[in-house]
Amino acid sequence: MMRDLVVVLVFISYAILVLLLFGVLLTWVERKLAAVMSDRIGANRCYLRLPFTRFRIIWLGLFQAVADGLKMLLKEDFRADAHDRFGYAIAPWLVFTPVLLVFAVVPFGGEIVPSELLDFSPGAAAWFGGERYEMQIARLDAGLLVVFAFGGLTVIGSLLAGWSSGNKFSLLGAVRAGAQMISYEVVMGLSVLGLVLLYGTVDLIDIVHQQSGSLLGFLPAWGIFLQPFAAILFLTAAMAENKRVPFDLPEAESELIAGYFTEYSAMKMGLFMFAEFIEVAVIAALFTTLFLGGCNLPFLGDAGFAFPGGGTVALPHGAVVAIQLAVFLAKVFLVSAFQIQVRWSLPRFRYDQLLRFGWTFLLPLGIVNLTATAVISWAGWV
Amino acid sequence: MSAATETILLWFFAGAAALGAVVMLFARHPMRVALSLVGVMLALAGVFAVQGAHAIAVFQVLIYVGAVMVFMVFVIMLLDLRDPSFTRRASRLLVPGVAVATLFLAALLALVSTAPAGAPADTGTFALEPFSAAFLEEHWLEFELSSVLLLVAVLAVLAVVKGSGRDHG
Repeated sequence: MMRDLVVVLVFISYAILVLLLFGVLLTWVERKLAAVMSDRIGANRCYLRLPFTRFRIIWLGLFQAVADGLKMLLKEDFRADAHDRFGYAIAPWLVFTPVLLVFAVVPFGGEIVPSELLDFSPGAAAWFGGERYEMQIARLDAGLLVVFAFGGLTVIGSLLAGWSSGNKFSLLGAVRAGAQMISYEVVMGLSVLGLVLLYGTVDLIDIVHQQSGSLLGFLPAWGIFLQPFAAILFLTAAMAENKRVPFDLPEAESELIAGYFTEYSAMKMGLFMFAEFIEVAVIAALFTTLFLGGCNLPFLGDAGFAFPGGGTVALPHGAVVAIQLAVFLAKVFLVSAFQIQVRWSLPRFRYDQLLRFGWTFLLPLGIVNLTATAVISWAGWV
Repeated sequence: MSAATETILLWFFAGAAALGAVVMLFARHPMRVALSLVGVMLALAGVFAVQGAHAIAVFQVLIYVGAVMVFMVFVIMLLDLRDPSFTRRASRLLVPGVAVATLFLAALLALVSTAPAGAPADTGTFALEPFSAAFLEEHWLEFELSSVLLLVAVLAVLAVVKGSGRDHG
């Protein structure tokens, strides 16, 4: 009991730390990638100076994110006269909290044996016994459904933010956000069903385990090779769900100022921004878990590398755990960076195009993919 | 989870659900009412989760909060705020409403007091897999029938919307 509590608390702290770090880091990545793609230098001014020296740590302007955060924390918290106090106060949290909660069911590493990790201190190692833990905060058999359950909560936050601001632009943004998020949630659910059919489970750890082998002898058995169309559909729908360009109609600045959070300022606005960037990372984590094999690296097992030619490299348990954590983070980072590149590559849809794209293009494609998967797995070709 | 923690969590979520229900009855603004209903749903999901019925808890959030309440909030958002109907504390049906509520409470109390004492039988673990198997093998007809009912409702809504559109040009 106590041991489980300690392990879960460590996992929760790790998850929150990683998500907040990603939230901060991705603001910088977005600036920097935008700069690279438009042939500029980008953020390069903010620095930390080591105390009592003239040595500056610039690190390509990485501290710009810290400066942004400080600015938002210290700004005046301005409120419109016509706002609804209760709704206005809780809306940012209704957007921010579910995004963090989704991560509770995402496995962010392989299996960990604390007693083997702590073998330098015999007391601690003995206390843990030989217990093995999967690196996931909550192992629920309804894993994938939890993702959609909590993912659906953010809609209410966006609607509430727009409505409670007492501003027509905010209300229009909220209406757009609601319609868009509900439409694309359907596509997102459909795109994942094919995978559920193939894996026969919604438990995310089980799904990751099933992706650890290899297909046809050389491809890693990742979901993206089993369900390539579903992967594209899922990523598209998830980006629409997150209201990022090219789907950022709810906050289209040239039409609606900032859409449903126009009337928010200071850190309340910061929470919306932060939630958006964390959701980029969470979407990347989900995509990694479902389609890129989670923490799986080809040929890496619990005891070390085992290459198909017969060569093996034995690794201690600590190294395997560290590699798996790093592999997961690297995949999440790459998928996040991809989402940001899409933002700077595509122009914004028009509103009718956006809804038509969702309902008459993505949804039928999702149904076709699901039907084909069902027929193929029923006929036993996989 | 130890029994003590389970009891504390159960009381917490049950209390939150009851509080949300009371706020829902007494709040006047439709948006507050909808939000407290969301609170009740989430707290009920917590109650189910503490009892170990994770699938039910997830469906509670997924269907009632994620779908039903989103649409309610969506509709309330577009209500005309100058409409004075929700500024009155109670509707004209206050007296019959209170009477029916009292009857219902009395019936509930009578049932609880006559119920046999003792813990209910343990129905085993309530996992997603047996749930879906039972759902699709034993109750598939009810499921299909209710989906037909929903389809009829959708058609009726479309007919109403089309009809009223023609009347007003």
